[in-house]
Amino acid sequence: MELRKISVRQAAEAVCNGEPTAHDLIEITLKNCSVINEGLNIFNYIAGIDAIEQAKAVDRRIESGEQMPLAGLPVVIKDDICYGVLPTSFGSSAFKDFISPHTATAVERVMDAGAIVVGKTNLDDMGMGSTTKSSPNGPTINPWVPGYTAGSAGAAAIAAGVGMFALESDSGGALRQGASHCGVIGLRPTMGSVSRFGLNAFSSSFGQVGITAFSSENIISVLKIIAGYDPRDSATSICTDRLDEQNSTPALKDIKIGYPVELIDYLEPSMREIVEKTRDEYIAQGLKFENVELSLFREALQAYYVIAAAEASSNQARFDGIRFGKADEASSLEELYHKNRSSTLGREARRRSIFGAFLLSKGNYDLYYRQALKVWDMVRREFANVFKRCDMILLTEVKKLPVSLNEDKGFLDDWSEDLFCAAVSMSGLPSLTLPAGQIEQFPVGIQLVGYSFSEELLTQVGSRLVR
Amino acid sequence: MTDLLKGVEKASRAVKIEVSTIEQEALARELDDFLQWLEPMLELNTNQAEQVLFSHGAVNVLREDCPRQSNLAELQEAAPNFAGGFYLVPPIIE
Repeated sequence: MELRKISVRQAAEAVCNGEPTAHDLIEITLKNCSVINEGLNIFNYIAGIDAIEQAKAVDRRIESGEQMPLAGLPVVIKDDICYGVLPTSFGSSAFKDFISPHTATAVERVMDAGAIVVGKTNLDDMGMGSTTKSSPNGPTINPWVPGYTAGSAGAAAIAAGVGMFALESDSGGALRQGASHCGVIGLRPTMGSVSRFGLNAFSSSFGQVGITAFSSENIISVLKIIAGYDPRDSATSICTDRLDEQNSTPALKDIKIGYPVELIDYLEPSMREIVEKTRDEYIAQGLKFENVELSLFREALQAYYVIAAAEASSNQARFDGIRFGKADEASSLEELYHKNRSSTLGREARRRSIFGAFLLSKGNYDLYYRQALKVWDMVRREFANVFKRCDMILLTEVKKLPVSLNEDKGFLDDWSEDLFCAAVSMSGLPSLTLPAGQIEQFPVGIQLVGYSFSEELLTQVGSRLVR
Repeated sequence: MTDLLKGVEKASRAVKIEVSTIEQEALARELDDFLQWLEPMLELNTNQAEQVLFSHGAVNVLREDCPRQSNLAELQEAAPNFAGGFYLVPPIIE
């Protein structure tokens, strides 16, 4: 079964009919994972006998007549999402053998639906970054362009055909940028639609569990399984039916896209050409466009990094090596904290924790943090104004092509790459990444941002726009 | 830069991360760059804006106040040093 050429529904039906069995599909997928991993460094952990046993259990459920929408389908999950069978490293070498006592709600839900976890994917230091370059295991290689980063390892796994879909975190844009760099489809859902229980979100306000797959149809099939209220995450939406169900497929001529023309000026010429060409092709397909003003993206990016660093400094307090993790020898409690935390947090996590504590300290709180919270309000209002007139907004994910493995222009250059994603994260709105074209051999994507809980509409439109 | 060095020292102490003198100086330079980078945000007039606490204005959802199954034993097993119902740390009273 070629995972890249089949829908979730078709694949699950095939497994239910024993063509192939879950066992056979998972066995071959695990072998493919090992082969692919040697060249691309996608996985921190590849499942073994446990996945085979789960596949056998799914085959038994099928034999007993149970219908499962994800029967026997291989899923890869980012290594900051807890899964109580394989280790969860959070992107820290101190946790390379840590087995979480929890399994994330999103993972539980796909497993209940028959999916089988075949591996945990690589990530940046404590999930902080959109390149995997700060991973203690080294970067994940772009499957299309060796020598360049994949952005996200989950996207690389889907592009390489070793998973039916990936569950990944996205705070400032890792999932979306990875999907763009690897030529696959990614969804960052509406904040509150998917439980974050079991996700190590360094930023509580922006971290979200999303989906990467090879088609919009597959994305919405999985989202309908993982979305909904979770009593273990009080920030999930209480309405289980908030995902706007589209009774009929809307005509493209009835959809109006907001086009932030001034933002396009930030792009490198080749990227700009792709976005403009995409807009022209969408117009030719019947979509209406209207120029809109989104003037706060630069300030939104800055506010995002103030709030995210502040939250990281607080959220990472849990990594003290006392309740879980690795403990160093120490003669005093203070020394124990310092030793454990210093060996757990890598360079990026240390930088953000320290900056965050600085920004929250007396004299800086009002100047930076309070100001950032107010900018957040302005960003939300700006998006809300656009959605009074438009159904979606067309944006890109990145300003430029992926970085080479040897390139290091400093942390601010890396952070600035989140310009088009951070504001969307602050808005809490859903965003669908679609392949839009290619520059040389590099895939390039665009993101369609929708109003809250409009994922069904986004994927319906997206499925007709894939190039 | 002296103020930023002190700021980094104080912040790293607050988050309990060991930082060498060389790393402290590097972080102070990076912090300086970061604060300069933030200037456009600081110049924004936010007088009419409110502080946001959640991205789309949702309110906390409260669950039923009833006992749930706990996996306390599993959580304790994850601790590097645990015995007799306690997380073990070095003595804090001299």
